[in-house]
Amino acid sequence: MLNQILAFTWKDLKVFFKDPGAVALIFLQPFMFIVVMSYALGGLFERGKDPIPILVVNQDEGTRATAIIRQLDEMEAFRVETAWEGHPLTRERAEKLIIEGKRSLALVFPPDFSEVLEQLPGAAPRRTRVLAIVDPATSSQFVEPVLGTLQGLIERSTYTAMMPRGLDYLFTQLVPQIPLEQREAFKARAQEAMSGGLLGGEEPVITLERTAPPGMRVEKLPNAFQQNVPGYTIYGVFWIVSLLTASVLQEKREGTFRRLLAAPLSRAVMLAGKLLPYYLINLIQIAIMLGASRWLFGLSLGRSPFALVTVSLAVAAAATGLGVLVAALVRTEAQAGGLTVLLLLTMSALGGCFVPRFIMPDWLRTLGLLTPHAWALDAYQDLLVRGYGLREVWPKVGALTAFAAAFFGLGVWRFRFD
Amino acid sequence: MEKRTPNSVIKAEGLVKRYGDRVALNGVSCSVREGEIFGLLGPNGAGKTTLISILATLLPPDEGQVLICGYDLRREADRIRPLIGFVPQELALYPTLSAWDNLAFFGRIYGLRGTALKERIAAVLDLVGLRDRAGDAVRTFSGGMKRRLNIAAGLIHRPRLLLLDEPTVGVDPQSRNFIFEHIERLRSEGMTILYTTHYMEEAERLCGRVAIMDEGRILALDTPRGLIGLLGGGVIHMEVAAEHVEDLLPAVRALPHVQAASSRDRRLRIETRAACPALLELIELCNARDIPILSLEVLEPNLESVFLHLTGKRLRD
Repeated sequence: MLNQILAFTWKDLKVFFKDPGAVALIFLQPFMFIVVMSYALGGLFERGKDPIPILVVNQDEGTRATAIIRQLDEMEAFRVETAWEGHPLTRERAEKLIIEGKRSLALVFPPDFSEVLEQLPGAAPRRTRVLAIVDPATSSQFVEPVLGTLQGLIERSTYTAMMPRGLDYLFTQLVPQIPLEQREAFKARAQEAMSGGLLGGEEPVITLERTAPPGMRVEKLPNAFQQNVPGYTIYGVFWIVSLLTASVLQEKREGTFRRLLAAPLSRAVMLAGKLLPYYLINLIQIAIMLGASRWLFGLSLGRSPFALVTVSLAVAAAATGLGVLVAALVRTEAQAGGLTVLLLLTMSALGGCFVPRFIMPDWLRTLGLLTPHAWALDAYQDLLVRGYGLREVWPKVGALTAFAAAFFGLGVWRFRFD
Repeated sequence: MEKRTPNSVIKAEGLVKRYGDRVALNGVSCSVREGEIFGLLGPNGAGKTTLISILATLLPPDEGQVLICGYDLRREADRIRPLIGFVPQELALYPTLSAWDNLAFFGRIYGLRGTALKERIAAVLDLVGLRDRAGDAVRTFSGGMKRRLNIAAGLIHRPRLLLLDEPTVGVDPQSRNFIFEHIERLRSEGMTILYTTHYMEEAERLCGRVAIMDEGRILALDTPRGLIGLLGGGVIHMEVAAEHVEDLLPAVRALPHVQAASSRDRRLRIETRAACPALLELIELCNARDIPILSLEVLEPNLESVFLHLTGKRLRD
């Protein structure tokens, strides 16, 4: 019996590796997703690498805009461009560059920017606007961080410029007789105290430090690859459904199942022989995806290789089980194509392979738990990103095994060899 | 395992198979002797594939009993399967694998291993003349080569009974002859073969006995010579004007080379002792009575005309 299963396995592995389209679907497709999406989104997640270019037109007649532009440029995530091909940028030139698709975002500081910031308190307030010229097609994921940062810089600049004058105005109105030295000393202390040290000079009383919840051992901060590898690996693993279904339909169409049914082997052996090679292909696929990501992009594989293997075995079982179910339900290639794409894309999306589940509405997040993808993704993220071990991922491994058993049970129940 | 083998390798009694309201087999009985090639001849839809599927243990009959090599098909299918080689009508092969890999897979399924497997693959490749293409992918083969490999896969485990379901469909004449030669060689080695076809030339050439099937029943079963003998020297269909039929029929029956004659509408059906002299006598008779012959058809004595004689329709209808 085992020899017959192994004969099936060897035969199907040969068939698989002789089909370049199938190999590309299983190995290259998810890998290309990881590479392309990680590089595309990398600018949002990482510092220093490929900073986002921002065109800046400085019409300010004072020095305040220059200070903000310098601070923006000093940030690793951004690269400020105030000139184009050797000429200082004008608003018209910046707009043209956006229209031509060469840049997506331009900031225009108005001529009265410094003047407005330095206006005397008490008089009727004057206002001005910094323009952010944005290509409407630009993703908000790109635009919002830039505008948020700029807003912060402007508020800080407004604060540093207007605070001393405001205090002077209050002193003049309330206690005009106070000596100048005492007034300056008070202003300095007040400014420092109110800013919490953020304005420079002393160590800030409040600093921002990135950390993780208790129990998670984050050895390095997740980058775009760390974020994308588990999601797209799972997305790719479940494409085995397509291969397995196509192979079963081919056996039915070519009559090889019919020939084998007349041979001395049970239907259980036939089904086991049909599944094992695809289960192995899944495991090879996961090993290649994670191994290549570690080698090429320095992906951390966590601290528990045993847990990683356990999760991978469970994920592959769930994917192969789903393959049996789909192969049992469809009758034609057209049905197989439609159902596979519908199922895999929907489940991948719901499971958080493309978009993190934490940004989804509650009901959608709950719905996502009905997919093995969500459990698999959570398990991989536990190991690769959160630094957990086997003890923490056991419930997820259990859920994946339950999915595998349910898919396999329903599939075997509905499976027809002819 | 084979000690229970009686003279009949296949013994089927009263087989009935229904698909919903349609009766695919309607009380089929036959037996196939050790070492013979037994033909099932009939048009598409006659029930040949249903019968061979039951014999290959793929379908259970609704009624009736089958013994194969003495084993009951319903209760002892596991004992029957290693004894039969089934060659389905489809090219049941893996096109991306080589001929060798295909045979190695089927051989392993039947429990062959190591040197025994390699020797057996080489032997069947020799038998079907594909040894020099052993390493080539099956998808690069011609239709005839694929058919030969399809047969080779059914022979890999040295079966006692080979079930061939239309093995020459879509094959060019040269490849067909090649396949015939292989089958004749297998017969000379003592293999029992059940062969379904709708080509009467194949049945005539290869089969020791032929069962003519139509609409789920066996209409006649004999040697090809015996079946052809049903037609005597051949059959002539002659058409004349309706008013002459009554007068002409007794005169036709009285002709020396006519065995029997009947009429239907304007058509006379004349079974002859010898077709050519009977034809001359008929023409002379009509000329003498000044009866115009509207149409004339001579059916040579072969299985095609036997089928027409038995069913009123042609094999390829």
